Amino acid sequence: MAYEALDFYDVDSLLTEEERMVRDMVRDWVDEEVIPNIEIACRDGVFPDEWRVALGEMGVLGAPLKGYDCPGLSYTAYGVICRELERGDSGLRSFASVQGSLAMYPIWDFGSEEQKNYYLPKMASGEWIGCFGLTEPDYGSNPGDMITKAEDMGDHYLLNGAKMWITNGSIAELAVVWAKLDGVIRGFIVEKNDPGFSAPEMKGKHSLKASVTSELVFQDCKIPKDRMLPGVKGLRGPFSCLNNARYGISWGALGSAQACFDSAKDYAMSRIQFNHPIASYQLVQNKLSWMLREITKGQLLAYHLGQKKDAGNWIPEHISLAKMNNVDIALEIARVARDIHGANGILDEYPIMRHMANLESVKTYEGTHDIHNLIIGRHITGIQAFTREA
Amino acid sequence: MNIAVLLKQVPDTTAKITISDGKVDENSVSKWSMSPYDEYALESGLQLKEATGGNLIAITCGPERAKKMLTDAAAVGADTLVHISDDGVSDSTHVQKLLTAAVKKFDSHVVLCGKQAADTNGGSTGPGVAELLDAACVTLVSEVNFSEGNFTTIRPSNSGTEKVIVNGLSVFAFDKGSSELRRPNVRGIMMAKKKPVESITSGDLGVNLDPSNVKMNSQNPPPEKPAGQKFEGAEYVNEVVSKLRNEANVI
Repeated sequence: MAYEALDFYDVDSLLTEEERMVRDMVRDWVDEEVIPNIEIACRDGVFPDEWRVALGEMGVLGAPLKGYDCPGLSYTAYGVICRELERGDSGLRSFASVQGSLAMYPIWDFGSEEQKNYYLPKMASGEWIGCFGLTEPDYGSNPGDMITKAEDMGDHYLLNGAKMWITNGSIAELAVVWAKLDGVIRGFIVEKNDPGFSAPEMKGKHSLKASVTSELVFQDCKIPKDRMLPGVKGLRGPFSCLNNARYGISWGALGSAQACFDSAKDYAMSRIQFNHPIASYQLVQNKLSWMLREITKGQLLAYHLGQKKDAGNWIPEHISLAKMNNVDIALEIARVARDIHGANGILDEYPIMRHMANLESVKTYEGTHDIHNLIIGRHITGIQAFTREA
Repeated sequence: MNIAVLLKQVPDTTAKITISDGKVDENSVSKWSMSPYDEYALESGLQLKEATGGNLIAITCGPERAKKMLTDAAAVGADTLVHISDDGVSDSTHVQKLLTAAVKKFDSHVVLCGKQAADTNGGSTGPGVAELLDAACVTLVSEVNFSEGNFTTIRPSNSGTEKVIVNGLSVFAFDKGSSELRRPNVRGIMMAKKKPVESITSGDLGVNLDPSNVKMNSQNPPPEKPAGQKFEGAEYVNEVVSKLRNEANVI
């Protein structure tokens, strides 16, 4: 049975024909290649390399970037791609988010012409995987106080420090690393064979199991002078990347939510207790109705934000609201779906507990739920509540 | 080589079909797709084009909505998109006449199509068009290759498969092909958007649609499946085995 997406308000009818064709392409691929294989990938704790190849062949990596062999799609199309991928698995969407928004985007926006020509075509085709090094063991929500530093040694830079929670780290050909040069945050492109660089994988995750998460370690890591991104200084660099990735997540989370809703609905319709399907009980209907309500609101939020991204009249707070809301409801929908499935809900025969565990990460990464609240709080009051200082 | 591929848009195989007033209610069909056997024909056409060079002409006869399917065909590599309006079309001989006229209009050297459409399952298009074209016709093919002026095809035979070689203007009707229709990519989709669909009518093709001799009386849904039967206890073993053997024909 082909997947019929929950779209109560026909929001997808607002998409352009091109956006719908891209949606169907990714949706079919997820149905045929991802969903039948995702549980094995999770049990094995690997990101299947075929998925990298397929994403490159479909041409969806770095979706909204133009030129340098990048797809040149709309931001709305990028959102739709994220949603379809995350219906498969958040780890898959994370791969695409990191490649497109966190690794390709900074090179595209802040890189030199030579850097763009050298890296972007190979990243758009999926041949080279990129990762993004901002978070450190002791600096997560507060990246401005990062320790990793770069020193200008005349004919090269020397990097020292460590990054943590880096998606794609161990499978990446290159890392866009943020480090302080004379106290100012700058972006550097580190290649996997650069001396003094290593990317050990972090094992033992209960979440995003089909995604590779690593540390990046720099011990007197020597990189050529032409690897610094010339176009940006300070936190604006990494935050620009995060804005795009967070935007994609606001769509992606809906994919997980839709998968959980579908599973819960099907289960409730077929599970008989007290001689009737449990879908016939008011308590269960209340849950399904609440899921549909929140997904529909989230779809409108994501679509409207996509239009604002495409029109260029957005502010980061708009993205914070959508990321925070849509991940929050997706996680709650996954938990309620787990509840509707009863004991069966803990088995990997159903996708819900995997989505639920994934979404715990998604709620935390790319700006935690609480940090996004503080961003919006600052917008409302004009008072920042991140630090104790004024 | 000009390669014509005849396509039909049909209700997706997963779409629910409802009948009202003795006719399939087209408005209730949630999803329309390219007929699956036509997909094999299209993929084979694309491979033929890659091997020999040339132009792939995707032709459909149908209502406005069928244009979307032509754009989908363009996304995977169709070069020319031809939509023939189905105004005045009332049976398959009309469709065959219109398709034949379009095949001629675009100077096609070879015609590929599905062995039957997934909705009507008529199976008359390929042989019908071949007859009107006075062309060779090979049906139920799974593969078509071209070399040294000949088309080599694979089709089932009594004892397995047979290889049939034809030349000149030929029509090939596809069964399940040896390769699935390729997935589009973003580049193809963006190019497809720019590709115009040529819309033509029976008048443009100079085809006179005679009054039809065929009258469709009514369409009916398939009979509902009888309710399941439940047996509990060892004493039913003989009965169950007999039913499985004689009624269900599964053992």
